[in-house]
Amino acid sequence: MGKIVGGFLVPHDPVMFVAPEAPAEDIRKRMWGAYDSCAERLAGLNATSAVIIGADHYFNFGTGCLPQYLIGTGDVDGPLDVLPGLKRQIIPASEKLAGFIADHGHANGFDWAVARAFTVDHAVAIPDRLIIDPVRARGQSIGTIPVYIAAGVDPFIKMKRAIELGGAIKAAVEAMPDDERVVVIGSGGISHWVGTPEMGKVNEAFDREIMDYACTGNLAGIGGLSDEYILENGGNGGMEIRQWAVAMGAMPGARGEVIDYAPVPEWVTGLGFVQLFA
Amino acid sequence: MSRNVLEKLMHQLCVDRAVKQRFKEDPEGLLARYALSDEERAMVTGFDVAAMQKHGVNAMLTLGFWTENAPNRHPAAYMKALRGVASEGQVFSAGLKQ
Repeated sequence: MGKIVGGFLVPHDPVMFVAPEAPAEDIRKRMWGAYDSCAERLAGLNATSAVIIGADHYFNFGTGCLPQYLIGTGDVDGPLDVLPGLKRQIIPASEKLAGFIADHGHANGFDWAVARAFTVDHAVAIPDRLIIDPVRARGQSIGTIPVYIAAGVDPFIKMKRAIELGGAIKAAVEAMPDDERVVVIGSGGISHWVGTPEMGKVNEAFDREIMDYACTGNLAGIGGLSDEYILENGGNGGMEIRQWAVAMGAMPGARGEVIDYAPVPEWVTGLGFVQLFA
Repeated sequence: MSRNVLEKLMHQLCVDRAVKQRFKEDPEGLLARYALSDEERAMVTGFDVAAMQKHGVNAMLTLGFWTENAPNRHPAAYMKALRGVASEGQVFSAGLKQ
């Protein structure tokens, strides 16, 4: 039987790769180091699969098809949007479990869109490269399962549904006959304004509010935030707390711990790293 | 209002190399294939990202459109176009200045 053994909530900030030297040295060391800390902690969980929840940036999907939620059930590579220091590569997948999650969802009221061969963007590629790859390099075999939700392009997935989707992932993992040890990674946020006149603004108060919900397992708190509130206080990029909500929904009752946080206007984002304990 | 068609074009101008090339060589010919108003066509050819956002176009698309196609693709030039001439030099992020 499968089991969710832990979770992480992390950013996926491409500006870190485009302008790595922009912030003060102590900040950039801390932020890159936070990914190393996540990798270190992941290594201790002996995971076999990682479900990474990202969001489309109007790049993977176009106006012709905008899924509310999608799972990659076959081959995975990426990123689609190559960055300095983040070249495209094949990403080890976890096809059997991914297919099981899709099938389990289809039988239980979650009509997953499915990508059989999927080139992820930086939302999944960054945490995969910075958190999972270092653990693979130690000899652990971890397959990545990409999940994409509608947090960047409207119609946005409802917060309530995002939490329920996490529950569907949990139910599927626990119904899986194999002894999978699964980590969920909510990739996104926290406050940032992408491509808008406010770009570069960061709202630390909003960021700390969201991290507090994560650390106290407050699903009602994060799930009760209106889109208007999130857009006003967290920006259009703040809508990505939906990815956090999915991960939290997969681990109801879990407590969390902030690994590190910094508001980094040079990287246009409030960068928060949280571990969720199963 | 044809925000949806505008977003379709913006998306293609972000990800499709052939469409980007056609836009560079023959913008009017390319735009004739899309059901856009004169006002919307002017937004595209004039790189008026502020007007497009007011029109409802997703800000990630206006950013991508600018970065992939504008004569001056510098992020600071995008912010200037978005915020207006008066805001020159007020880019928040050091990262965006690079």
